[in-house]
Amino acid sequence: MTEPRNPSMSSIPQTGPAHTDSSSPAVEMDPVEYTLRKRLPRKLPKRRNDVYVNMKTDFRAQLARCQKLLEGGGHREICVHGLGLAINRAINIALQLQASSQGALQLAANTSTVELVDDLEPEDPDEAGEPMTRTRNNSAIHIKVFYPDAQ
Amino acid sequence: MSAAKVKMREKKMRNQPASVQYPSSSSNVESSTQNGADAPGTGKNADPLKGGLSEVHPSTERQKKTPHQSGWVRGHHKDGGGYTKEMPKYVTAGAFARARAAEVSAMLKAVRKTTSSSRVFEALPKHMRRRAMSHNTKRLPHRLREVANRMREKGLQAGSKKKKEQAKSKSRKARRRHGNLLLEFNRRQRKNIWLETHIWHAKRFHMVKKWGYCLGDRPTYKCYRACYRAMSSHCLLQDLSYYCCIELQGDEDKLLAALSQLTSKEAGPTFAAALCLSGRRQGSVMVYRAGRYPSQPLGPVTFLWRPRTQGSVHRQLWIWAHPTLKQDLLPELQTVCQCCEAVLPPAAPVEVNPTLEAENTPEAKPVPGTKRKRSRKDATGPPAKKILGDGTRLPSTPVSWRSSSNGIVINDLTMEIVRYRLIGPQSHSVLVDTLEAATGCDEVPKSQTCSLWWPQHCSDEAKMTLHQQQADIFNILKGIYSTAELPSGTVLGLTVDDPRLTLPRKRVKALPCVKQAQEVDEEKRRKLMLEGVPEPCCQSFIWEQSVRDNVTDNKISEQELNRMRSEVLVPGSRLSPTPLQGRVPILLVEQPGKQVGHEMSSWGAGWDLLLPKGWGMAFWIPLVYRGVRIGGLNMSLKHSQNKAAPHFPRDYPDCPAGMRFQEEQEAELLNKFKRHPPAKRTNYIKHGCVAPFRCPWQQLAEEWEIIVQEGGSQTRTTAQADAVTEERTSQQAISITKPPSRFTVLRNRKALKLLSAWCRPTTSKGQRPCRVGELPPISCEAVTSFLSAHAMSLVWVHVSLPSKGKPEYHAMLCVPTPDDLKALGNRQGTGGPQEPPHRDHFKSRIKRRKKDPKKAATPSVTPDKPDGKKADLIFASDLDTNASKDPKSFSESSSDLVLGLWPDPLPSVASHCSRVTVGWVTQGDFSMSAGCGEALGFVSVAGLLNTLLNQTSEHKGKLLLRNPTSLHYRFAKINIEV
Repeated sequence: MTEPRNPSMSSIPQTGPAHTDSSSPAVEMDPVEYTLRKRLPRKLPKRRNDVYVNMKTDFRAQLARCQKLLEGGGHREICVHGLGLAINRAINIALQLQASSQGALQLAANTSTVELVDDLEPEDPDEAGEPMTRTRNNSAIHIKVFYPDAQ
Repeated sequence: MSAAKVKMREKKMRNQPASVQYPSSSSNVESSTQNGADAPGTGKNADPLKGGLSEVHPSTERQKKTPHQSGWVRGHHKDGGGYTKEMPKYVTAGAFARARAAEVSAMLKAVRKTTSSSRVFEALPKHMRRRAMSHNTKRLPHRLREVANRMREKGLQAGSKKKKEQAKSKSRKARRRHGNLLLEFNRRQRKNIWLETHIWHAKRFHMVKKWGYCLGDRPTYKCYRACYRAMSSHCLLQDLSYYCCIELQGDEDKLLAALSQLTSKEAGPTFAAALCLSGRRQGSVMVYRAGRYPSQPLGPVTFLWRPRTQGSVHRQLWIWAHPTLKQDLLPELQTVCQCCEAVLPPAAPVEVNPTLEAENTPEAKPVPGTKRKRSRKDATGPPAKKILGDGTRLPSTPVSWRSSSNGIVINDLTMEIVRYRLIGPQSHSVLVDTLEAATGCDEVPKSQTCSLWWPQHCSDEAKMTLHQQQADIFNILKGIYSTAELPSGTVLGLTVDDPRLTLPRKRVKALPCVKQAQEVDEEKRRKLMLEGVPEPCCQSFIWEQSVRDNVTDNKISEQELNRMRSEVLVPGSRLSPTPLQGRVPILLVEQPGKQVGHEMSSWGAGWDLLLPKGWGMAFWIPLVYRGVRIGGLNMSLKHSQNKAAPHFPRDYPDCPAGMRFQEEQEAELLNKFKRHPPAKRTNYIKHGCVAPFRCPWQQLAEEWEIIVQEGGSQTRTTAQADAVTEERTSQQAISITKPPSRFTVLRNRKALKLLSAWCRPTTSKGQRPCRVGELPPISCEAVTSFLSAHAMSLVWVHVSLPSKGKPEYHAMLCVPTPDDLKALGNRQGTGGPQEPPHRDHFKSRIKRRKKDPKKAATPSVTPDKPDGKKADLIFASDLDTNASKDPKSFSESSSDLVLGLWPDPLPSVASHCSRVTVGWVTQGDFSMSAGCGEALGFVSVAGLLNTLLNQTSEHKGKLLLRNPTSLHYRFAKINIEV
């Protein structure tokens, strides 16, 4: 697969905090003293045929958007990206697209790891604690949905 | 005959020939003369009555006197006009002709003379009228010109009498001459301070005079949505220079000890927070009066510490406050720091600077002789100097205070520093595009002493390495896609070139270029994202007064710059050796976006750009040329609304500034309301809206406190609540001398967290169950203990409407009855319940007021609004007077009855409607980021907890929202966000 970009840099659009993952409160630190604040995943410029799937928008709307790109938009291929919880939905969309096209479409899936940043703000009364930043990784999937060139 | 009639008659008869007589009354009948036998020359006489008496001509005597009828009679009379049947036997030709001639001349005069108000050209038919005829008499036909000229002169004379003071205005050309224009501008900004971008804004914005400044409210063109899009996807620029900066200098521990009295750790991190203290982050804090933590708040401020210099405990702190807050904050700071000695400003520093500049500029520029002459003349002439900084302040007003005991110095830096705010994910691209790190200057020989600051700095090795580091970090910003990727509150100091030099020729849109920057510094970028800017790089020379003044004084004028540009060989190319004056120290501060809630996190993040004064326009235009949108005060309100952050002073009803704001807003809205004709006004009484223009928070908090005390945890019905308030009124009448405790806004973080957890639905789709283990579940005991601490509190809530409805300000937040919630469960799509329309008892009273002023007030009218002067007055009168004087006090209050509004002693606000009110909305609108109506407001803690106790877990935090102009309740979900 010719993924044009560095797969580890993918992200989801800012409107979708799809990474509502089950990040357990930091084990190594006292949860009372720190507030966890998640930063948005890194955002990159997107092409017209990139579809970032989130958990907030209605599923049918996202499916319709992909179909529109493939049929009306004149794109031979689109990329469906999903991060964390949205992986399931991205796969679902890709499979639905393939099923509704009667086999004309093909899929090529690629997975990657996205680095996310969390801020930990101290709430100790003597205010000596430094805010901490930690990174954690989350899985992402990039599915290329395309018409094979042989036709 | 009344005097007025006599006067009118005199006026009518003034120009008539004496022979013409109107019958007036029987008293002067015999004195009047007959037709055709008038005395010659009586036409000249002004008073016909007198003339008739005094100048009796012999010929008249010969005439037969008619006892009943005399003179000409206007109109038709039954007896044929009453002329004598007998005709005169002979007519004296001379006398007759004279009399007729007098009549003709009088008639001609009457025809020529225009009556009072009509102008000459009004006598012309429509098709002969021309534009601006009254102004230019030459547009009139020739025959009318003379009359018109005469009238015009008369009008001018009358006008000049009226406004004699108005000086003869100069010609437009003279007025627009630079010096005169400046004088005029300086005169106009004596009362309200102009920002440096004022003229730019005044051409494009609706300006409002607020807080002693002239500020742009909203653009004159339609750009509401465009501005929203700019905030969420590109960049919106605002001029926030009206924010006041107060500088504190002194030893770190002494400063912290003084400032700790103003804040409380319960309400979040204070001035002493470690990261802020190092100078790497900007902090924000809520300030209270010294030692009065929960009860007397002042307002929110942001602050910035200057990074430590090695081996020194002397620190510098900037506190940025809203102008309405400054007047409360500054005295408080002075008492806390014991700074009472006002340091007088050095003898007229304002006068020193222009002379300095006047000396510098003619030497610096080799201009042709004529120009030099003019510049000399300007320097010697009246000092039409452009005002930089605060123009409303007298030069002798102290701006600096020193403490003799602990050495702390307070400086008021209002208008000394320009502050621009860029909001939006692309604001760093705009900055990177606009600014360029300053270029060094090696070619300057070090021996030459230069008055400019940059060459001196260039000679210092340490300073140059620091500058290089800062420039490196600034370049990393190019590789970042969104402003929100950086840690919030990051500070970056920098020195930049004059941005006017790199001004693009056309307005372009700054876009990030991630690709080319990616391979360069991946590692550095990661470090910046995780750790922020290292401490030494937060240092900037803008902190130093001397450098700021130097930069401000030595700014190249626009004219000079254009001249230098025109001398460049290739037109349009950059000035090759950057002029030495063009190095400006700046400070960049990252502003956090939305920090609360789960959705749209870090929306509206951006950068603040801090500049020394005088450089405002030099940076403004280049920023505008990078395709940003400009917003006014209106947009900053929308920004905070979308961020779900309280907006000062609107959303701080317990602060003095917030109270002032509320009073102003009420007066403004009431004025607007009264401008409508009564039949076109909303009748708020019928809508059951007690206070459409203000929110009586104090009354609400008191009422809920009593409801909770009386009734425990039962649901209050309207009748019960009414009874309670009535009872309370009687209590209050007894214990009125005791000052009631004031309401406060709950800002204790722990308490807020607890409340937030309580009003969240525990089981709901899409939301994680919160960590219930740490927080006690809601129960009667927990609520009681909570209320014992915060009974008189309000809490800041975020309201979202899941279905239809656009909330407006002062919309009511009410408690749904169990039936409402049941109906909600059954039919999800339907709206909410309806409020039955109320009856307006006051309407008939307004009509009857004059006839029957002694009608007593309805028993539901309870005088319980202790804050506000009017209510106090009424209280006082109630106390003084007994039942006998009661009607009088009512008639006093009824004198300001306005149709459709409750008169001042408001009824019970909580239980006025069929659903019990717990709070009001302070700002609300359709939120374009959420796609539904969203509002921010306050609810009473007691009321909220009472409601939550009775709600089932699936409906936790569901309230009803009703706009003041509507009877329809909508369901709303409230969130308390910490």
